[in-house]
Amino acid sequence: MDTKSKNIRYALGTKIAATILAWICFLSASGSGLYLLDHNEELTSKSYFDTSSFQLEFSNLLHNVIELNTFLIDEETIKSSGQEHKIIQNNLMRLNRINQHLSDTVNFFFLVIDTNTNEQMTNIQSPDKIKFIEDMPFNVYYNEYDSMYTTSYDSRYHYYYDFNSMLAGTNYEVYASVQEPLQIGDIFYESNITYNQVKATIQNIIILGIASFIILLACIIYLVWVTGKREKGGNIVLIFVDKIYTDIHLLLVIIAAMISIALIGQFSYYGSTETIIAASIILAFDFWIGISYFLSMIRQIKNKQLITNSLTYTILKTFTNFIKMCFDGKVFKVWLMFLLLVYAGINSIVFALSLLGGRINFLAGLIFLMFFNTLILIFLGKSLASLSIIMESTEELSKGNLDYKLNSSKISIAFINLAENLQSIQMGLKKAVAEAIKGERMKTDLITNVSHDLKTPLTSIVTYVDLLKKEALDNEIANGYVDILEEKSSRLKNLIEDLIEASKASSGNLTVKFEKVDLHELVLQTCGEYEELIKSSELDIRINSEFPTLVTADGKYMWRIIENLMSNVIKYSLKNSRVYIDIIQTTTHGQITVKNISATALDISPEQLTERFIRGDSSRTTEGSGLGLSIAQSLTTLQGGIFKIEIDGDLYKATVSLPLWISQSTDNEEND
Amino acid sequence: MSSLNILVCDDEIAIVDALEIYLKQENYGVLKAYTGTQALKVLSENDIHLIILDIMMPDLDGLATTLKIRETLNIPIILLSAKSEDTDKIIGLNFGADDYVTKPFNPLELLARVKSQMRRYTALGSIAEKTNVLKTGALELDQDTKELRLDDEPIKLTATEYGIVKLLMENLGRVFSINQIYERVWNEPSFSAENTVAVHIRRIREKIEINSKDPKYLKVVWGIGYKIEKY
Repeated sequence: MDTKSKNIRYALGTKIAATILAWICFLSASGSGLYLLDHNEELTSKSYFDTSSFQLEFSNLLHNVIELNTFLIDEETIKSSGQEHKIIQNNLMRLNRINQHLSDTVNFFFLVIDTNTNEQMTNIQSPDKIKFIEDMPFNVYYNEYDSMYTTSYDSRYHYYYDFNSMLAGTNYEVYASVQEPLQIGDIFYESNITYNQVKATIQNIIILGIASFIILLACIIYLVWVTGKREKGGNIVLIFVDKIYTDIHLLLVIIAAMISIALIGQFSYYGSTETIIAASIILAFDFWIGISYFLSMIRQIKNKQLITNSLTYTILKTFTNFIKMCFDGKVFKVWLMFLLLVYAGINSIVFALSLLGGRINFLAGLIFLMFFNTLILIFLGKSLASLSIIMESTEELSKGNLDYKLNSSKISIAFINLAENLQSIQMGLKKAVAEAIKGERMKTDLITNVSHDLKTPLTSIVTYVDLLKKEALDNEIANGYVDILEEKSSRLKNLIEDLIEASKASSGNLTVKFEKVDLHELVLQTCGEYEELIKSSELDIRINSEFPTLVTADGKYMWRIIENLMSNVIKYSLKNSRVYIDIIQTTTHGQITVKNISATALDISPEQLTERFIRGDSSRTTEGSGLGLSIAQSLTTLQGGIFKIEIDGDLYKATVSLPLWISQSTDNEEND
Repeated sequence: MSSLNILVCDDEIAIVDALEIYLKQENYGVLKAYTGTQALKVLSENDIHLIILDIMMPDLDGLATTLKIRETLNIPIILLSAKSEDTDKIIGLNFGADDYVTKPFNPLELLARVKSQMRRYTALGSIAEKTNVLKTGALELDQDTKELRLDDEPIKLTATEYGIVKLLMENLGRVFSINQIYERVWNEPSFSAENTVAVHIRRIREKIEINSKDPKYLKVVWGIGYKIEKY
């Protein structure tokens, strides 16, 4: 359970989910932020009367009232003002609009008093008009010099117009108010309803914004913690984004940020819901760029490669390495670098001088440069030629031609060290190979000689044991001993013969007479030879082959190989099991595959089985020398074939592949 | 019949003594030598009918001795050697030996080879030319009596075995594949998984060969077929 939760913690799905959650939270947080920014007045104000929209509306109405009563008065006054027709028309239009405005409101009340005439202009029905206004929670008062306002809230009233200067030079006193509670029927009422709706929503938006921000923060902390990790305590796994050089990545992110800032700047002129949507889309893109950059940086910090993975670092490193290489003499000796500088210097100085010094000097300079560069080219050509000689010699060496002689007299001075080193490598290699060959030959000789020396006394043993058997021994136990002697001496004989054969086969000391061999025929012949053993071993041998498969091989060695495989099959197979011998033909090879089920468990590798003296049964109780498979492998290799052993549980499979017989025009042994 | 004398020559005394025992059991007279020169000396002083000669001997080796003997005598020579390579056998036989036995050998096999050589040597003059007889070495197939003889000893064959031997002896040295043998002897088309031919061949070999693992007449050409060698 615990490990399962840990696995989930590092699972790719969880990470993706966390990222998407972070994205959603980011969007909602930033959306809420933008919304709050847009409705900051609703957020900060306590009532609709504090908002600038109310105050602007109120100021407009007040402005209208003052304009109407102090300036426009009525249609007659305008018409008789004697002003230009255009202005009169304009003023008439204005008068209409103001009257319209005033008649549209139900909550706005005004009282304009001309102190000279005590004439009153008002829309108030009440008898004590001043008291009516001053009883209102929100009211204002203006005259030529003064202004006064009262609100039920401790907020300021914004002056949108300079009403004092509008009233300058007049004797008007202006009272105005908006009643509370608002009555249905005008813009104040509707705006108030909207205001209250927004005010109610803002609470939820704030909660949403804060919650989103907290979840976003949690997601980012989680992502920072698990990014780059596939399991607890595991290595940091980098993804393709991390291959981007860190400084290039930073640059790309900055460019993206600048583009989005510029775009949002463009949108802010229009200012509306569309702005919010557009900004959100841009922010949504920016989030992905930002989070991928941020997490990539975190991964690289975790992997301690924030600095080393930057382009700047790489360039600096390459540059310093190059400088180091030049002066360490590892690639080129210092003097070679120096010569290069001198060469460039001479060329440029002479060219500059000849350009400066008139026509004759120019020609002389040109001729000098031609000679100089030709000389350098010849030198370079020689160096390159010697380099190609060295390359040729390394190629020969890699092909195994250790006797290839490098003509060191032709090598240019620049590469003489390389050539000498190469020659000493060649000498060392040659010596090692010669010693290896000598050692192998000595080993083979030793085995052969020892075997010969063993054979002579063994002959005596075999003969005398046989003679002893013919003597009439009264003692039954002695007869038993003689039987053991006979069995063991014949075993010894087989061992020695196998030993000689193995040593010869593995050292390649055998001559191979290639001829056309039919694998099918060979297998049938072998089964004929082993018929009685097969019958007594109770094995069911199934041969799968339809057509003659002709291969190029030495029949005698092929028989030895198949004989070894068959005797193994008979010795080691599970009683009453089936043995499959398949002969198949590939495009290049003929293949015999022998498959059987081992009687004992084969806890040994196929490679070990073909080593000398290794046997499937480690107790070595059965007869056999342990050389059979080694001989079979050596003989197959000797004939240019492939010998392969596969073990799958108790299934033992030996495959011998030999190149197919390619019929030649001189092949006149065709069957009739 | 007067005793036939055999010279046994090997530098290993134990082997010479052992062979003496075997040969005396078969009523042969045995003379012993331990070097090549001794062998030549014994030969010049006695009436010898067969020589068993080791190759690797001090002073004069078996091959040189064989050459010396062949200068004057035509008696059968059987070489003994620890060298088991084909090339060693070929060299030995080319030097004038009649047979080649590798150490360590089965005494009974050697004895059989001695008998075979002796029969051939002693019965040399008595062979009358017979008609309708196929012959290679000491192997004869009388087509009239349908009888196979080795060193004049009749060998019992089944009808199928006779058919196979007849086919191979009619075409001495020629290799027949299993299919070809089947089609010609059984007179019916063969099925590829048929390995009765191989079994029959092995049985025939066990009957006519001294050592069926190292056959003299009926040879296996691995991966190609079978043949009876022409001598």
